[in-house]
Amino acid sequence: MRIPRMRFPTFGPTLYGLALLMVVLGIATPFLPIVAKVQLINFLLFVGLAYALNFITGLTGYVSFGHAIFMGIGAYALGGGIDRLGFPPLLGVFLGAGLGAAFAVGIGLVTLRFRGVYFAITTLVLFLAAKNIVPEISQLGEGGGIFMNLGFQPLAQFYTIWAIVVIEIGLTYWVTHGRLGYGLRAIKSDEDVAKTVGVNASRLKLSLFGISGMFTGATGAVYAWTLSAVLPETGFDITFSLRMLAMIIIGGAGTLLGPFLGAIIVYVPYNYFQTVQSLLGLQLAVIGALVLLIALFIPTGIVGTVRRYVPFLRRYIE
Amino acid sequence: MSARLVARDVRKNFGGVQALRGVSVTVEEGSVIGLIGPNGSGKTTFLNLLAGAEKPTSGTIELNGRRTDGLPVNRVVGLGIAKTYQIPRPFLAMTVRENVAVAAMYGAFHRKPGEARDDAGRLLSLVGMDPQAETVAAELTVQHRKQLELARAIATGARILLLDEVFAGLSADELPRSINLVSKIQKELGFGALVVEHVMRAVLTLSDHVVVIEEGRTIAEGAPQEVVHDPAVIEAYLGTEVARAPT
Repeated sequence: MRIPRMRFPTFGPTLYGLALLMVVLGIATPFLPIVAKVQLINFLLFVGLAYALNFITGLTGYVSFGHAIFMGIGAYALGGGIDRLGFPPLLGVFLGAGLGAAFAVGIGLVTLRFRGVYFAITTLVLFLAAKNIVPEISQLGEGGGIFMNLGFQPLAQFYTIWAIVVIEIGLTYWVTHGRLGYGLRAIKSDEDVAKTVGVNASRLKLSLFGISGMFTGATGAVYAWTLSAVLPETGFDITFSLRMLAMIIIGGAGTLLGPFLGAIIVYVPYNYFQTVQSLLGLQLAVIGALVLLIALFIPTGIVGTVRRYVPFLRRYIE
Repeated sequence: MSARLVARDVRKNFGGVQALRGVSVTVEEGSVIGLIGPNGSGKTTFLNLLAGAEKPTSGTIELNGRRTDGLPVNRVVGLGIAKTYQIPRPFLAMTVRENVAVAAMYGAFHRKPGEARDDAGRLLSLVGMDPQAETVAAELTVQHRKQLELARAIATGARILLLDEVFAGLSADELPRSINLVSKIQKELGFGALVVEHVMRAVLTLSDHVVVIEEGRTIAEGAPQEVVHDPAVIEAYLGTEVARAPT
């Protein structure tokens, strides 16, 4: 019998490649100079955020502009956990993940009924509300933020964010390669029709939004940990919403490799510009211009475009 | 047990508009019921209610004695009622095979991806779309989109299919082929079908029983040949004068 051509290969070289890269990073990092460690932590924070948003926006097509809300919740969960409850940082990260998931499910129950631009606007409005409410809570610093005095713990931070990214990559692979992947592509293509072939679209979207909120919350907590402080401006930072979107649009929304590539492309100028006085503050302009160009000329991002125009690579890149 | 869909005295209001004012229809596995009526008579609304896309204002819909009205669309599909769209709506970015496979995975059967792709292959040969199996749906012709729509509905494992104008817009030479194909598939697989149709030739050929609705009410029903000669039906379609004219 003729074996049907699979749209995605069953054994993904992309997965092996990413796994290998993560293993190398996991082994090599303790031996790297401190500057490189810090760079890698910051880079993996970006990767973690990209994969987190990819679960909802990449896989279902629901564009969330307010995802920084879950970063803020994660950050304040860590801050509150350490400052108020005496948690160790790692427990704070778990709290951030849990609250991120819980808030995402709560918010998703209402907002996922909206589609397209209405969903995007609603998430943005919720972000603005959360930004003005959460930091003002008296137990969370009453607008003054929380300072944690954690000292410098690069390896603990590195392995926490490393583990988050590894789980995200594994989960993305699992979700995209089975029954769920088909259902999600159906939703992304035409949600009403997806329902008429039996896909429980509401439940699937809500699960993915919850997963997305969980990883965003966890990553936001690690980010706050690296700053050793939670401030209203760094906790609820709308530019992170934009960066997250930029990363998956540039790399290729809904793909396995896309968020990683997008994270590299957004992180490098972001990081480089911060070190050059005259370029400081321009990073978002550059990223914005890049997103515009990609949206105009190669709307499926790097991965989608390569898969389309380079058939020979189609087997290896997903 | 063979499936039996029973709609009793189904009514639907949209605001002040009474789209359906009490329609009753029974569809049994193995039989084809034709549903005809002038434009705006409520046919598509009725199908939407049966498929679970909308809730009736009153009346009941039962599949094998179990109420399905009020259930969400995806649950209704899971119980074995599937609908095609009048204007085909394939998942454009997916291949034809994937379009059908996703229905097999999520419909009443819950097949694993591998099995679903095999099922899809079988169904595609049944509707004569083998050569298009790996084509991306966006590139299909209208005729093929209609066939895909049918294959996808069958793939859900539904025993009752609601076919909304599957023959509309086909050219004169495509039509007989298409009617034969649907007839052949229905006999082979034995599902029950409620066929909403404007193309009289299709209704008369396929249906065992025809229901005529006008302005949300059943105005006639019976064997196809009887119904088309019913004066009330002719009047609904063509106006009073034609109905009274000597034949």
